[in-house]
This record gives sequence, C-alpha cells and structure tokens, in this order.
Amino acid sequence: MTKESLMHELQLRGEGTLQVPPQDLRMHAEMCVALGAPLVFMYATEEANAFRVHAVFSAEDGFITLASDLPKSSPSFPSLTRSIMAAHWFERLMHDQFGIVAKEHPDWRRLMHHENIPEGTHPMRKEFMWNTKLDHANVPYPMHAVEGKGVYEIPVGPIHAGIIEPGHFRFNVRGERILTLEGKLFFKHKGVEKLVEGKTPEEAFPFIERISGDMVVGHSLCFAQALEEASGITISERAKYLRVLWSELERASAHIFDIGNMGGMGTGFTFMAAQGFRMVEEMRRMYASLVGHRFLRGAITIGGAHDIDESGAAEILNTIDRIEREMKRILQIAYGSDGLMERFETTGVLSNEAAKAYGARGVPARASGVAFDVRTAHPYAAYKELGVNVVTEKVGDVAARFKVRDRELTESLRLIREVLAKLPKGEVQAKIAFKEGSALGAVESWRGAVINFVRLDSSGKIDRCAISDPSFCNWPLFGEIGPGNIVPDFPLCNKSLNLSYSGTDL
Amino acid sequence: MTFALITFQTLLVLAAAPAVIGMIRKMKARFQNRQGASIFLPYWSLLSLFKKEMTVTRHSSWVFRVVPFVVFGSALFLAIAIPSFAAGILSASLSNIFLVGAVAALGSVFLVFGGMDTASTFGNMGSSREMTIASMIEPALYVSLASLAAFASFWSLDGIVLYFASVPMYTTLPAALSLIALVFVLLAENARYPVDNPATHLELTMVHEAMVLEYSGPYLALLEYASWIKLTAMLALVANLVFPWGILVAPFAGFAFVVALAAFVIKLALGAFVIAYIESTIVKMRFYRMQEYTSLALIIALGGLAVVLFTFAI
Repeated sequence: MTKESLMHELQLRGEGTLQVPPQDLRMHAEMCVALGAPLVFMYATEEANAFRVHAVFSAEDGFITLASDLPKSSPSFPSLTRSIMAAHWFERLMHDQFGIVAKEHPDWRRLMHHENIPEGTHPMRKEFMWNTKLDHANVPYPMHAVEGKGVYEIPVGPIHAGIIEPGHFRFNVRGERILTLEGKLFFKHKGVEKLVEGKTPEEAFPFIERISGDMVVGHSLCFAQALEEASGITISERAKYLRVLWSELERASAHIFDIGNMGGMGTGFTFMAAQGFRMVEEMRRMYASLVGHRFLRGAITIGGAHDIDESGAAEILNTIDRIEREMKRILQIAYGSDGLMERFETTGVLSNEAAKAYGARGVPARASGVAFDVRTAHPYAAYKELGVNVVTEKVGDVAARFKVRDRELTESLRLIREVLAKLPKGEVQAKIAFKEGSALGAVESWRGAVINFVRLDSSGKIDRCAISDPSFCNWPLFGEIGPGNIVPDFPLCNKSLNLSYSGTDL
Repeated sequence: MTFALITFQTLLVLAAAPAVIGMIRKMKARFQNRQGASIFLPYWSLLSLFKKEMTVTRHSSWVFRVVPFVVFGSALFLAIAIPSFAAGILSASLSNIFLVGAVAALGSVFLVFGGMDTASTFGNMGSSREMTIASMIEPALYVSLASLAAFASFWSLDGIVLYFASVPMYTTLPAALSLIALVFVLLAENARYPVDNPATHLELTMVHEAMVLEYSGPYLALLEYASWIKLTAMLALVANLVFPWGILVAPFAGFAFVVALAAFVIKLALGAFVIAYIESTIVKMRFYRMQEYTSLALIIALGGLAVVLFTFAI
C-alpha cells in the first residue's frame, strides 16, 4: 500500500510526520499494520513542552511516521505491543530513555538499564547531563522461570568461554530440550545517542562508525543519508555508485565470515572456518590498502564516499574473482556433506508469522519468507539503477539462513562488478552545509535494515539522533527460535543469526 | 626383565601421549591449510599448567580434590595393562578385558563426580551427557572385546594381542567387524568426533571439556594428561590389533626392541592421522542422534560376535 492510499484510509492529512492524539495512536498503528505497512521503528523526542512518541511504518513508496505529543508531567500512551509485537522492545527502551509509559504493556521490565541503574533514571531527557554519576542501585530484574518436575534452569554468561561480547542467556530445559529461552543484554551501554547530541555531524560521525565494529558502512551510510536529506545535500552520481561498492563489499566479507563460522564453529566442520576466515582476512587487508582501515571506517563520508582509482578497481575485481571461485568450491563441499546439512536443517526454525510479528530484519526475516530489503523497498544510493534481486527462502531454519547468505553473497559480488563497470566519472565529495531540519535514513546493512532519525537544530548541531540497529529487532527472536531445540544446538542458532551486542546497546 | 619392560612401556605411553595429541592437532591444522602449532606444544601446555596457581571453589567438597588423582590413576592403569609396546610381559589377569573396562569406567565415573561436585551448570550438563554416552556405548565396548576374546580364546588383552601377532593376518579377518566397533567405542570414550568436539570453546556443546571446566592448574593438568594417556593407550591397542606387526614379544632381543619402538611410533602416527582425518571430514553429530551412533556401534559389534562364533562353528 502506498503512502497516499494509506493516509486516505487513516483519514489523516499532512506532510511528513502525522500528528495523532495519544489515545488514537494504537488504533492508527493497528490500521497501518493491517493494511500492509509494518511497524519498523519507534523513537521518542523531547519537544519544548512535551515528549513526542514516533512510530514509523514502511509503506510501499516510503516511510510514514505517526507521532503523539505526551505531557511532560506524566508521559504515557496506550501500548502498541498488545497488538503489534514489533513495538515490544521499542516501548521498553523509550521508558528507560525518557520515562514514557506504555500503558498495559505485557512485559513492563527495564530493558536498556541493568540492575545497578537507579529507578527514575532517564538519560535521554535534556535535563540529564551525559556525565552524571549515578548511585549504585540494585533493582531486581526477574527472569522468566518454568516450574515442574525435571525442569532445570541454565544461566549462561554474561562471561563466556570464548572471547565474545557479554550477554546473559537463561534457558529453562527439561533434559537437553529447551522449554524457554530468554536473553538479557545491555551490559555495556555506550550512550551513543546521548553523546552525539550537541555535536556537529562531523564530530558525531566517528561515534556512529563505531556503533558496531563490523557494520561500519551500514551505520555510517544511514547516518549520512539522514543528514543529507535533513540539510538538502545532493550527492554526486559517482559517490552513489561508490556507496553501493563499499556497502556490498562489507556485505560480502560479512557473509563469507558467517558462512565459515556457521559451518566451522557451529558444527565443528573446521575447514570451513579456516578457509572462510582466511578469505575475510584477505578482504580486510584489501580494505586497509584501499580505504586505510580494515573495517572500512572512512569509506563513507557525509556528502560522499571514499574514491578509488583504476588500480584499486582492478585489485577489487581480482580479489572477488578469486574469492568467488574458492567459495564455490567450499560451498560445494558443504552442501555435499550430509552431516553438515543434517545439523542445519530443522534447527532453529523461525516461522514466517513470527518473523513478521517480531519485525525481524535482514537475513533471518528473508530466510523465513519475508521479502523485505531496503535496497529495493526504499532504494537509496545507486540501487535503483543497478537493481537488486532480493533473496528469500521459505523454511526459516539454520539451513535457510545459510542459503540466504550464500545467495546474497553471489548477488553482492554481481553488484560490485556492475558498479566497477558502470562507475560514473566526476567529483565525489559534495559541498556540505547543515541547516535546521530532520529526516529518516534507512539502509540495508549486511545484518538487515538500519533506520535512523536525525534532527539538527538551527546551528546545524545534532539535537536528537535515534538509531535502530537490526540486532535490536532480532535479539527477541531467540525466544521463538530456541524452544524445541536442544541445548547443544543453541550456539549454531546463535551463529546463524550473528547479532551484534554492541549495536543493540548503543 | 619383565619388570623393566613394564616400566619402560608405561613410561613410553606416558611420554608419547602429549605428542599424539600434538600430532592430531598438527594434522588437523594441515587438513585445514593452516600451519598449526608444533606437535610438542602439549608438553609445554602441561608444564605451564603444573606451574600455575590453582583455584578451587569454596563450594566444592573433597570429591573435587580426589577426582584428578583417581582419573589419572585409571589412565595410568591403562598405560600399564594395555599391551602397547610389548606383549606377553604381564600376568594375563591384569589385562583382563573386564578389569580394563571397569578401571576405564571408574575414571569416567569419577570425572563425572568432579563435574558435578561444584554444582556449576556446565559441569552438571557435561556430566549428564557423559553418563548418557557412556551407558550407551558400554554394550558395544564389551561385546566387541568379548568377541575378540572368544576369537583369540584369551580373556586378556595381552593374550588377544599375542594371538593376533602370532597368526597370519588373513586368519584374523573374521575379527574385522569387532575391530571396527572398537574404533567407534574409542572415539566415543575419548570425547572425539562425532561425539564431542575437543577443540570447542562453546560451553553449551561441550561434554568432556564441560566436566573439567572448573579445574585449573595442576589438577587440570592431571585431568588433561589422563585423557591423553587414555587415548594413546587405546589407540595403541587398536593399532596393534589392526596391524599386528612389530610388537615386542619374547625373546626380547636388542634388534626387536628397536623395531618395536619404530612400530610403536608409526602405529600411533597412523592412529593420529585417522582421527585427524575423521575430524576434518565429518561434522559433530547432533546430541540427540547419539543413540544412532551407539546403536550402530553395538550392531557392528554384535555382527562381529556372530561372525566370530560362525567361524568357530565351521
């Protein structure tokens, strides 16, 4: 459904953000979702005399934002989660950030704050200084427990045997069979959204690049696009193609890593990991020689992108040709191994219904048959000109996620070749000047959609920057994927999603 | 003389064990096109573990402290009793198949106690899995050993190895199935693929590693060393049955001694290669399919028994 017809159905008029009374927000939201525009993002902002809740829906030809002003004295609105699961974590997050209460929310625990943060701490309010020293509190965080004969609880983490980021997982099991699985993340809050406020976009840019170490292009491109739209900056054709190039290179290396990691570390088919990690390392060295950073920091700039010359293009082509050849051989062995496919198939199934309800993004959603890809849904950079074949699978198990990665890798390499063949000549960097305004940015990073909201004040500094990382939307999927599987298969499910802890806890 | 040989054989197995593990790791690395660490690294790992400070949780009892010694003792017994380098040097009763099986099981059971004693989640999880696997693989162990015993008409491993070494190789063909079953048992008993992944860092998938997770320093060294010795001794036994050449038998001449030493090294290297090959070409099985693996082992063992009994009948 297009924005036009959606607004007609909702009987709302206006440009940009549509204001609705708080008590009507749920009704309008339900209608949007029922009419085929899923809820993709919720964020709050602080206005002169109100907190404003925004709900962003993805229509056919763009995003539609509903907003409600809530009085600062008692900000509350009827929870959307009752009918729209995708709002679940967003509403809890807005409570931690601003103290906005989503009435009748079915799971009203804290989300971003861990136990040591005192009650009533709402760091995103303007009155809260970023360097406030908080008292050491001990607010209980009850986790779901199952009772019954032979039911055990397995607490895992936040410190793990391997070197990974902190995350606590609580399993309720009977024997080896998982009954429920709940994650508790947010152990290392960085406060990016707070820190960038009051900074110029150039000052804020390094913070955005570091949100999630392996998703530099995804986040920086999304931020840059939001800024460019808010300030009316047009970027050159060459920059558009270069942005596709860096995005697809990041996607390719991430997918190679994941393919190796799922096969190698998840099931113990070690040669896949050894080969996959070797190829990723080769690509990282290439990035270092092209951009100056192994994880592509600096590849995207506000108003442009890092340029390449003839020899750089030749180097990329050579590398991806070789890697494609080698990956083909490795995948041939992988698909030929009954033991490996047996581990993948039927493990960690995410149903299409659940993927839609939770608002899953990226690979897990597409592996469950949700054909949503920002590159085609809301094209940016040069994706419209290049065209993208969206890859989907139906089954939604680990094998499906593996296949989606495999096929997306092929598509990425095709796009890279096409970009290098068609790369227009000309200037790369546009002149940038920031002015008051706000805009949404949306990008399909390799993990899934990154959606940002940026608002600049009259001096061109950041007034509010709301960031939604795909990991944030996909972590709750574990509660759906885990139960029914056995405990030793959980790490494989985990690797098949490969979510970022850092991106979740901004 | 016999006493000296027993001591020599035991020390040989003890000395070879870290190198066997090192070889497996090196070969696995080569299979993955990696360089791999030196095969002598496990010696240094052991030494550094012995030198390290040990942390024992307050929530553990004396069981936790006894376990490393019992487990190591059990492995030591296997090194003494299993004819790996020389055969015919021991009283046959010491390597009785049931005694060897029971002592090996004693080690496993105490390891399980060690995993449970600290009441940590992973220790208990590993212990539960270990007991499940151990109880399912045990029938295959005893059926295959008993078939070999029946075939050789000896109840001791020593007698079986001597018999295999004394007859022409083609006459031992009827025991082939039993030997295959024994390889299945060896992989399961020693926490190798497809039952367990010894290289994993994923605490949720561990079996053996989960049980020793709470151990550190010298105790961990003892437990690790014990598992290496057990693998080496069992590998040598199977190798001696599959390739019944070169084992030292009476009279213990000087030249035969050198040949036996070379054969010992070659057989262990071959065994390490087979394990590395298996671990590089297959994936770890899903835990709930373990009963298929163990039933397959038992069926092969029963088939072996049938073949052996049939051979007697004709």
